[in-house]
Amino acid sequence: MIKVLFFGAAADRAGTRETELDVRDGATLAEVWKLIVERYAHLAPMRDTLAFAVNGEYARGEDTVSPGDEVAVLPPVSGG
Amino acid sequence: MFAIVDGPIEVGALVADAQRPDCGAIATFVGTTRVDESGGASVEYLEYEAYRPMADRKLAEIGAEIRARWEVGHVSIVHRLGRVDPGEASVTIVVASPRRGPAFEASRYAIERIKEVVPIWKREVWSDGYVWVGSQVGTRGSASERL
Repeated sequence: MIKVLFFGAAADRAGTRETELDVRDGATLAEVWKLIVERYAHLAPMRDTLAFAVNGEYARGEDTVSPGDEVAVLPPVSGG
Repeated sequence: MFAIVDGPIEVGALVADAQRPDCGAIATFVGTTRVDESGGASVEYLEYEAYRPMADRKLAEIGAEIRARWEVGHVSIVHRLGRVDPGEASVTIVVASPRRGPAFEASRYAIERIKEVVPIWKREVWSDGYVWVGSQVGTRGSASERL
């Protein structure tokens, strides 16, 4: 299992701030994203605006995850 | 000092902490809640959230970037979360340097980097709904993609 966190507009669209997903060891973030939108279809239109983090550091679609990892779904940041 | 706080930012105390005998300039940037108006409605307050501890770490990284690029004696960045009312500070950056040039440049750099890489998000809460800044998602009919 991996933990998936949603923030900002992504949490709004998903209707939750946190979930768990069963993914194979070594799955890419792109594969994780497919599972996420299967469960939270309202997130799909946001894809091009989103960034991802794995265990608290920015990651790309080809990066992989392992059981126990924390994946964060990050809309465009707007601090300040 | 790099911190994310839930209550008001003590701007004066942050400036006092930056005063040092080897620095002749302190530049302070304070970001505050502005009341925008559109379509007969106005902003009532801003609400911030962060992905922690990644956001804390990114603030410290910005501090390290500044120390690598400019001669500075002191850098502090404090960002507030939760509800921030009009005129109140959401972020404060204080840079002390021997001379004014690096202090100005580094404080500008810090706020621009915050807006690029620190996982913090703000929601404008208007009198007629809200909007996530940057995503344009929310409940305001005219200014956002409706949920």
